[in-house]
Amino acid sequence: MLDLSSMSEHMPAFIDGFIITAEVSIISILGSFLIGLVFALMRVSDNHIFRTISYWYVDLFRNIPFIVLIFFAYYGLPEVGVYIDAFWTGCLTLSVAVGAYAAETIRAGILNVDKGIIEAAKSFGFSKLKIYRKIILPIALTTSVRPLGSVFINLILTTSILSAITLGELTGASKIIASTTFRPFEVYVFLVFFYGILTFALSGVIAIWHRHLNKYNEAN
Amino acid sequence: MIEIDKLCKNFGDLEVLKGIDLTIRPGEVMSILGGSGSGKSTLLRCINGLEEITSGKIIVDGLDVSRKSELREVRKKCSMVFQQFDLYPHLTVSENITLAPISVLDLEKSEAEKKAEELLESVGLTDRSHYYPAQLSGGQKQRVGICRALAMSPDYLLLDEVTSSLDPEMTAEVLDILKKLAGQGITMISVTHEIEFAREISDRIVFLDDGKILNDLPTSEFFDENGGLSDPRIAKFLSKMSGR
Amino acid sequence: MYGEQGFTAYDFVLWAEGLGVSVGIFLASSVFGLAIGILIGLTRYYKVPVLGKLLMMISEFLKNSPVLVQLFLVYFGIPALLEIDITPIQAAIITLTGNTAAFGAVIVISSVEAIDTKQLEAARSFAMDEWLILKKIIYPQSVAIAIPLVVGLAINQLQVTSLISVIGVVDLTRVGDIVNQRTFEPFIVWPIIGGTYFILAKLLGLLGARLEKKFSAYRYQAGI
Ligand SMILES: Nc1ncnc2c1ncn2[C@@H]1O[C@H](COP(=O)(O)OP(=O)(O)OP(=O)(O)O)[C@@H](O)[C@H]1O
Ligand SMILES: [Mg+2]
Repeated sequence: MLDLSSMSEHMPAFIDGFIITAEVSIISILGSFLIGLVFALMRVSDNHIFRTISYWYVDLFRNIPFIVLIFFAYYGLPEVGVYIDAFWTGCLTLSVAVGAYAAETIRAGILNVDKGIIEAAKSFGFSKLKIYRKIILPIALTTSVRPLGSVFINLILTTSILSAITLGELTGASKIIASTTFRPFEVYVFLVFFYGILTFALSGVIAIWHRHLNKYNEAN
Repeated sequence: MIEIDKLCKNFGDLEVLKGIDLTIRPGEVMSILGGSGSGKSTLLRCINGLEEITSGKIIVDGLDVSRKSELREVRKKCSMVFQQFDLYPHLTVSENITLAPISVLDLEKSEAEKKAEELLESVGLTDRSHYYPAQLSGGQKQRVGICRALAMSPDYLLLDEVTSSLDPEMTAEVLDILKKLAGQGITMISVTHEIEFAREISDRIVFLDDGKILNDLPTSEFFDENGGLSDPRIAKFLSKMSGR
Repeated sequence: MYGEQGFTAYDFVLWAEGLGVSVGIFLASSVFGLAIGILIGLTRYYKVPVLGKLLMMISEFLKNSPVLVQLFLVYFGIPALLEIDITPIQAAIITLTGNTAAFGAVIVISSVEAIDTKQLEAARSFAMDEWLILKKIIYPQSVAIAIPLVVGLAINQLQVTSLISVIGVVDLTRVGDIVNQRTFEPFIVWPIIGGTYFILAKLLGLLGARLEKKFSAYRYQAGI
């Protein structure tokens, strides 16, 4: 029957795994945000080539499974002389793959900015760069907190796939615990709940943050 | 005949109808007036069994509305027209009108469609039967709503502020149709804020106030200085309504 | 060294087999998953006591934990607990069905709730019974709302099937892994595998667009 006590002695290993998951997640969230921002701006730019590149990037990476991308990177990078370990391969691939989703979300945020506000700013003679930096992006990003949050929560769940390239993050660590304790059911039920509670908590924080940032337009 | 006996309706702790006694005879055209929140819509919805009644009784032609088995028959006799039209957006005008006659009254499709055409013609919508509700103006939608109700060949027509989401021009076109209907012998119970219209078509006016019937008079008496108007609450209500 | 054998014609057969397994498991789990998702959605809509809440809670955890872990739970955990044998394919279908059902339920609920309830009341007032209302009014409208969401879900679930390679199902991804290990040609193998998924996703998208057109006629007519 269900027996969680045998797991307690493996808690340190589990926590080690959690730390790796946290590190990969934080690095990749930053990475995918930056990549997403760049491609979102390219997508809304006037430059035809930028727009096309961005379109294909988003379309490609949203339609190819992450595990295929991670195998490609894991086996492909050394072939072209890039020798990085599973950890950094994971961070890199996650950033690029999730960047496509982030780009799409940020683009939607940009397109949602009230045209009147932009016109008004133009009428004051602001440069295009200034309008983006001071007006469009701040508005787009504050209204995108919640959708971007879901993208990044998905990123955290996706880190589990890095166990397939031997990274000892939460899922990888749990796999080892499951096979040493012979209690796979308990270990994986615990893991499902752990991820579940982690993402519930994070969505809660994101929702509060979103509401806080968007207070000024609560009326509408 | 609709017989309402000591009808009470609560929503949780809120008492909305506080003992309504009312009899509506066949062929009668009755208007229900009253302030916002006085319980007019609730009364109408109770007659159609859309609200479960808390106590009391509603009998329609001998059928008890609170009995599940009899409610279906009651609903076949009483058709409602709604303030917001509430047409089915995914069905054409013709399908909106024929759905219940075909599926509830087991009418032949062709027969139901023919009837729908006739009804549409009578409300001036001859060539609109293949339109979708979203392609119609508010007044046109409400005329379809009326056709949908009439297609059931009801004995009683229940109208809940059917013009209050329409602008004046469209209101006139819908009221004209209802006036014609009122002259055709159908029993009509109409909740309305259109005082002039009520005065013109009704045989009888019922004034609801805070869940109770304050006054139940033939139309001419209701609008008489010594009749309904002698009650300050009614006088105040009427002056407020005509002042709009 | 053992690798470096180059590609053979048999690799194409492998690819085709992997494709068949991926598509087959995708179809099976989508059909079962959507059917269960609809049932869950309806227990919720008709407020079935206990069951409605319980199913929703389970689906919350399915949506909020990695599918890979769910696969491990079903493939390694359940056999250990119940002392039964489960094949990788069974585990794959069970897990993906559950996952699709969880997301499908959300779609069902949101597309049913998107329908204006006042027209349901209107239908009731004309003596239509609940079954008739479900069939004639709720179903056609919620399908129109749900189709684009279901297409999005399907495209996503197609990608999720690739995870079953990890528990040993020889699907498209696993074939890629096998051939890659033998040939050491990641720059040929993985673009082909990735491209196959990409094309499948595009085909699904096209199919979805056609379905959308077919089911949501009234929106187009209305110009909304
Ligand atoms: N489903 C409900 N649940 C709770 N309270 C309700 C419900 N329906 C109506 N009420 C309350 O019952 C009271 C009477 O409502 P009703 O709609 O019958 O008034 P009315 O006379 O039709 O008013 P109006 O002229 O504004 O349409 C109101 O206070 C309303 O808030
Ligand atoms: Mg009302």
